[in-house]
Amino acid sequence: MKFLHRFYPLAVLAISIIFLLPIYWVLIQSLNSVGSSVTEQSLWWVSDPQWENYVALWELLPFTRYLLNSLCVVAVAVPLTLLSASTAGFALSQLAPQAQRSWLGVSLFWLVIPAAAVWLFRFQIFNWAGLIDTRWVLIVPALAGSNPLFVLFYYWTWRAVPNELWEAAQLDGAGAGRIWWQIARPLGRPTTTAVVLLSFAMYWGDFIDPVLYLYDSQLYTLPIGLQLVNQLDRANLPLLMSAALFMMGPVLFLYGVIQPALLRHLRFNPFL
Amino acid sequence: MDDGLWLRCLVGIELSCRGASWWLATARYNLVMFQLGYRRVLWLFLLPYGIGMTILITIPALSTAVLAFTEYDALSPPTWVGGRNFGLMFTSPVVRQALFNSLFFVGAAVPLRLIGGLLLALLLNRPRGLVGVARTAVFIPTLIPAPAYALIGLWFFNPVYGPLNLFLGAAGLPQPAWLTDPWSARWMMVFLAFFQLGEGFILFFVALQTIPRAYYDLARLQGASWWQMFWYITLPFLRPWLLLFVVRDLLLSLQNSFVPSYMITYGGPYYATTFVPLLVYEIAFDLFDLGLAAAVLLLLFAVVGLLIWNVWQIWGRE
Repeated sequence: MKFLHRFYPLAVLAISIIFLLPIYWVLIQSLNSVGSSVTEQSLWWVSDPQWENYVALWELLPFTRYLLNSLCVVAVAVPLTLLSASTAGFALSQLAPQAQRSWLGVSLFWLVIPAAAVWLFRFQIFNWAGLIDTRWVLIVPALAGSNPLFVLFYYWTWRAVPNELWEAAQLDGAGAGRIWWQIARPLGRPTTTAVVLLSFAMYWGDFIDPVLYLYDSQLYTLPIGLQLVNQLDRANLPLLMSAALFMMGPVLFLYGVIQPALLRHLRFNPFL
Repeated sequence: MDDGLWLRCLVGIELSCRGASWWLATARYNLVMFQLGYRRVLWLFLLPYGIGMTILITIPALSTAVLAFTEYDALSPPTWVGGRNFGLMFTSPVVRQALFNSLFFVGAAVPLRLIGGLLLALLLNRPRGLVGVARTAVFIPTLIPAPAYALIGLWFFNPVYGPLNLFLGAAGLPQPAWLTDPWSARWMMVFLAFFQLGEGFILFFVALQTIPRAYYDLARLQGASWWQMFWYITLPFLRPWLLLFVVRDLLLSLQNSFVPSYMITYGGPYYATTFVPLLVYEIAFDLFDLGLAAAVLLLLFAVVGLLIWNVWQIWGRE
């Protein structure tokens, strides 16, 4: 144990490096010239950064369109998720204990059904609803809270609030909608932060849904763009890395912006 | 029509009118008094979630179970074929191979992710120095969108142009062919899954915060060693969380193997990374044999259900 104490800062530093260094390498590799093999030197620094790699991405494929499509999906799906997940989570936290338990059971059931199990018949349902080959196939889950986990996050947050608070608000004549908006929403802010990040990552990186349900190349999103780059120019590793960076940039940026708030609340986690 | 019937009709209409007016009055009363009633608004709030998830998850999942007994190509209506799909499935070497691959994958990835996440959470649990940076760093690979992560993996494990073999060579270790050798391709997938252990890390990190400090103080007073404290305090407290993690991760890892196997190797070399989700995708959306795909899915769930049941039996008692 003494041994661990002495080397503790070193271990922490090593962990940070192991998890961060690959990102740096990807950045360097994305600026390397095409066809050059990796040497120990070229991993750490590029003397003549090839910014053209990022331009080449645009020349190869209509990335502006993919970007706009992705942004459109995220811009609709994330606010919708916040609305549907938080209202459902709030309602859950207000039900009688018996009803809460049964909804919790159903939510867990939804949570453990693997996505592959619903691929086949969801295709049929979207087909009957005439949604195949429209943007809606990507957005529709947001109407139902996106992921039962998000609903449960909100539920756990507001269940931890003493019941007297809700009862007092009801006695004062506030309706459910008003209590949700004026009392529950400010209390659930840390949860909202987490759900924004997670739902953004979910819709931004959604690869399987467009692969299964979208055929019109005008509607392709960024993940499909990445797969097309992968198919068209597989040996061009710097190009692949610039595409990957382009895809993960916004998520990491959002994480950087949100993360201080997230960690601040992690210690006083409301749903514990 | 005889008079009796007329009379009964009139009474019926009268009664239903009364019922309707009573219902309207109550509804108006509720609207005025409770602004549509607290409970009713709650149910309104739950409606999109309940109906949406039923349509998006429950109905498709149950239909898959029925679809497994039919022949269906998504164009003509399904026809009942009984156990034909299961017979086909059990004699197919590709299905057996895919099932083996998936089981190997979860068998290797889930324990590694569990141990890795737990160790990191234990290590980064104290507020000192660079810990904040390390916590942030650990979660980053988990946040990288799956397609981008797959492309990075493609470069990383490239036998000639990738950095991994460069370092292995520099350290004098053997340099596997990764993408073209079956076993090293399987381990590559496990390795890629291992680095995305952020969710487990956060879960265990939060779980560790729930253990009251007093237990450790008392144990320390009585001269308990670090290992004893871990074994007799930390581990029992963490058990429900570990159980939750294992069940969730079994299902999640199974599913998450799809994108890397699709983008990096497309199931190769020699079906070594054809995991069940990829096989189901190929059978259903390339060969349009939705019945067979459903049967393969059912088999997978039976096996995974058995696994989870075993985990539950071992850890979940008491």
